[in-house]
Amino acid sequence: MATTKKVLQYKEPEKHYDVVIVGGGLHGLATAYYLAKYHGVKRIAVLERRYIGSGGSGRNTEMVRSNKRAHETLPFYKDSLAMWDDLSAELDWNLMVQKKGIIALAHSDGELASMRMQSDSQRRAGIKIDMLDNQQIKKMVPSLDVSDQTALPVLGAQFHPEGGTVHHDAAVWGFAKSAARCGVDICVGIEVVGFNVEGSKVTGVQTNIGDINANKVHVAVGGYSSEIARMLGVKFPVVTMPMQVMTTNIMAPFLNYYVASPRLHWYTQQTLKGDLILGGQLDPFSSWNSYTTWEECSERVATILEYFPDLAHGRVVRSWSGLCDCTGDSAPVMGPSGIDGLSLDIAWGYYGFKATPACGKYSAEYIATNKVPENIKAFSLDRFFNRQRVREVIL
Amino acid sequence: MAFLIDCPNCGRRNPYEFRFGGECKEAPGPDADLNTWCEYLYFNENMSGFQQEWWYHNMGCGDWVKVRRNTVTHEITED
Repeated sequence: MATTKKVLQYKEPEKHYDVVIVGGGLHGLATAYYLAKYHGVKRIAVLERRYIGSGGSGRNTEMVRSNKRAHETLPFYKDSLAMWDDLSAELDWNLMVQKKGIIALAHSDGELASMRMQSDSQRRAGIKIDMLDNQQIKKMVPSLDVSDQTALPVLGAQFHPEGGTVHHDAAVWGFAKSAARCGVDICVGIEVVGFNVEGSKVTGVQTNIGDINANKVHVAVGGYSSEIARMLGVKFPVVTMPMQVMTTNIMAPFLNYYVASPRLHWYTQQTLKGDLILGGQLDPFSSWNSYTTWEECSERVATILEYFPDLAHGRVVRSWSGLCDCTGDSAPVMGPSGIDGLSLDIAWGYYGFKATPACGKYSAEYIATNKVPENIKAFSLDRFFNRQRVREVIL
Repeated sequence: MAFLIDCPNCGRRNPYEFRFGGECKEAPGPDADLNTWCEYLYFNENMSGFQQEWWYHNMGCGDWVKVRRNTVTHEITED
């Protein structure tokens, strides 16, 4: 029976909290949920200046995967991918988790060798991964042109069977609802404009409706971390770039896997509804404006049509973009900020969505215990000074 | 694209002809310590608003151009 009970009631913020989380996206909501549910923190507020999930949380391409390269980060991504499985039951909310498998195409011998190297790292970390030859690819994706007639012929692929998709809006509402039911105050329309710092300890945030005191402040602002940096008078190792995404009209089901070409910067999947989501690369310059451009759209469509010629009748019906805060080493910044009581979960570039559950879990653990969990030690801000940058490859 | 970059050699051109070279920063002196160099290399002001930045015209004259651009509106102005 349909319920008339409201899923979520937004709150007006009070004057004092144990933990204030800046940013009502997936990472902020997940952190609030894990803090309230598993660490017994009573008074938590999530402050969001627009609406929950308005930034990268609602603008990504819904891909979840753990096929990264750097061995120190693989346990983190593996954990995150495994956590999605149980989240629908835990949050009592259907997140539409569909682990359909990701096929990443290789177009050169060098790329194949690099993929084999990656696969070895991933297998060692316990992640399921296979290499495919062209016959196997053709069997799995009959509509893909694997012949030698394409601009850069497909030579093989890496198959990541546990990768797939999760509906991002469902995830936002699932975490928001569950956090609110654990007693978290979710406040929208509250913009943080500054931080109150006494000595080397943060004591609260300044907002558009006045000061809010907090013992601890957690920053999870997605693509806007440099604005936070300016409020604190520091710099973060990021450049903000937009990622553009498109969807096509609805088609009969023909594509059961997520197919990507890291070399040509395209990836595509067919949603349960039937439309294709086409994604690409970051715009190659810094921008704080979520526009979409003809250049990006035409390049993406042309490269995808090269390998899916049957899609020539399709139409791009909608496009959007989201801001990505990218570091030089393709890894985020998590944990201590150098100011007591202020923790970071920023610089997630274009790979933040899949990490949501683990980010929430480990950020909450760090905030509650003040000890940096083993799995996020590699993501510290200090790594840029200690010559310990994460050895990640772009994928 | 919503903006064009004024190249002194080639005139007003599409930004996709250029390679973005990042924001203009002042390089540390020869006697600066390692932390200063790390900060110079990896950390950015990353303005939401006007910033001075480098663009390399790799599909044109091959020159580096200094541009003052608003990263929100993409308006380009003289200093």
